[in-house]
Amino acid sequence: MSARGDILERVRRGVGRDDFAGRRAAAIAALGSAGRGPQPVIGADLVGRFRAKAEYLSSTVVAVATQAEAPAAVAAYLLANGLAGEAVATADVAGLDWAASRLSVAVRPAVDADKTGISGCFCAIAETGTLMLLSGPETPATVSLLPETHIALVDVSRIVATMEDAFALLRAERGSLPRAVNFISGPSRTGDIEQTIVLGAHGPCRVHLILIGAA
Amino acid sequence: MSAVGRAQVMNFHDRAGEKLRNAGLQRALRKAKPLFVGKRAKGIASLAEDGLDFEMLRSTGKNIRNRTLADLDVWLDIFEERAKATGAEVLWARDGAEVSRLVVDIAHRYGVSKAVKSKSMLSEEAQLNDALAAAGIRPVETDLGEYIVQLAGETPSHIIAPAVHKTIAEVEALFAREHGRPLETRTSADIPAMAQEARAVLRQHFLSAEMGISGANFLIAETGSAALVTNEGNGRMVTTLPKVHVVITGIEKVIPTLEDFATLMRLLPRSATGQSISNYVSLLTGTRREGDHDGPEKTIFILVDNGRANLLGSDYQDMLRCIRCGACMNHCPVYFSLGGHAYGWVYPGPMGSVLTPLYTGIENALDLPHATTGCNQCGAVCPVDIPLPALMHRLREEQNERGLRPWSERLALQAWAWLAGKPRLYRWVTRRVARYLDWLADGSGRIRIFGLAPEWTAGRDLPVSSSRTFHELYSARKKT
Repeated sequence: MSARGDILERVRRGVGRDDFAGRRAAAIAALGSAGRGPQPVIGADLVGRFRAKAEYLSSTVVAVATQAEAPAAVAAYLLANGLAGEAVATADVAGLDWAASRLSVAVRPAVDADKTGISGCFCAIAETGTLMLLSGPETPATVSLLPETHIALVDVSRIVATMEDAFALLRAERGSLPRAVNFISGPSRTGDIEQTIVLGAHGPCRVHLILIGAA
Repeated sequence: MSAVGRAQVMNFHDRAGEKLRNAGLQRALRKAKPLFVGKRAKGIASLAEDGLDFEMLRSTGKNIRNRTLADLDVWLDIFEERAKATGAEVLWARDGAEVSRLVVDIAHRYGVSKAVKSKSMLSEEAQLNDALAAAGIRPVETDLGEYIVQLAGETPSHIIAPAVHKTIAEVEALFAREHGRPLETRTSADIPAMAQEARAVLRQHFLSAEMGISGANFLIAETGSAALVTNEGNGRMVTTLPKVHVVITGIEKVIPTLEDFATLMRLLPRSATGQSISNYVSLLTGTRREGDHDGPEKTIFILVDNGRANLLGSDYQDMLRCIRCGACMNHCPVYFSLGGHAYGWVYPGPMGSVLTPLYTGIENALDLPHATTGCNQCGAVCPVDIPLPALMHRLREEQNERGLRPWSERLALQAWAWLAGKPRLYRWVTRRVARYLDWLADGSGRIRIFGLAPEWTAGRDLPVSSSRTFHELYSARKKT
């Protein structure tokens, strides 16, 4: 017998229940009306909560009033941290006037040599201070992964309370999952040498968030 | 399991003594324990700030896992169908050897000479690295702890902190050798530089490997996705850059929905490291889509049994709920006295003391279910409420039922059972024993050298609680 047949036969014996077809139909039906577990009480100030949690996870955050102000905020951040004014960006933020802030921004997937990556996000989660990014032709996953510095533009209207809310938004707007849904909560870290936390393991060492519409 | 691995499991008792005498290991463990315990306590306490109750959350998590296991055949079937619909391939492996065979075949099919790996305990079960190396394919562990352990030619000693047993000096010696540079004196202030050094070396491996191998923290049936939780970002690298991605995971890891995943994610990182969420949580579905610039062209799931299906419907089914957070070992006095290698196989601590005998044969790991103080710290912190001490107790019963205990122990148990069935005689004997112990303690309340079992008092005193038995104290109290 095939490995599949063998294993599923053993599982069936262990489960010890008949009517596979009936149980399967019931399971599929249950998927359609997925219930949520206990939900956290987040309060009404999603922006404040998101910001506090993101900072707690070692992201840095600034707020600007409009999207048009984002390039200047990015330029100021790079300057303050002694970083070059060059970056790779995802297409969802390509329309901004980066040149006016004297930034050289290339819209393409990131390569190893890129020092700074700029992206938008699908939404953000107030509960944990987390970004939700979707992979896609316009939004390659490498931009938020390979460079040492990741700068994300977060429209405050896209901040939801919980991961469940983020999934609800994804179902409503996209229907199905892209190849990769990446939840990002601050810079990459490791504690593997003597339990000492170090920022910047394999992913970015710095995550900077520009909150748009909050100032 | 190899003969060597089996022999190691059998030697738990001997290895325990050796680990206790290892000063470097003891220093590393003493440093780690309060960090693990403190971080989890803080993480769990933070639930209350959001009006969440740990007990309620864990009973929800437990129900999700129980519900899935009750219909595991159905959920596996749905997962397989949906994963295939997204363009992934789904393979099945009965045991570790079959896992290795499948992965080596895949590597040959796609011309792979190097595979980068994100942490997968199942690949340790399969001894996959050895199989890959034997087939001329270089496996590179990319989790920093796993990388250190691989350089040392060792196995992980903890499921989420693989190199917890290593001191900074040992890590430095490995890095100097592997990275071809002179040895330096390192203090904790150098740890960021050492992490940076490993980052630079491993980055080149990420960029050049043709295959990425990962585990999965969960499989989501609804979407046919693998969920991967990491802090370092190596999980994202391994599943984004190479052209082939192989997910190796146990058949028990499936859960129904994204909502179930969200619930379990409130439990898993908090129980493991105290974090409210890990830095990177990825849901990986299918292969590179039309127009995508990154992601694997080929995604292959290997769903592994290796003893899991046999636990369904058995006295040990509760163990299949395990979400591999490591909280049980982080709170275990036995684990923190000995470290993970003393356990002799892939999984250490209380979960290992249950899983190792079940997956490698009860007769091959006789000591492990006894490697417990019965304190139930593990059961109390388990995020899916696995009754670990009860499962270890059941394994000890089974050892006895199958005649696997020494004749002296079996005889003693039989004598005890006989005595306990005769209340008058029992009371008479226990009175004598209590007086005898009190006499040995010589009024100090402690026995310094206990002749009947000298090992017990080799490094500590045996406390004597009272010169009178429980029955005597109870009847005296009823009279007043």
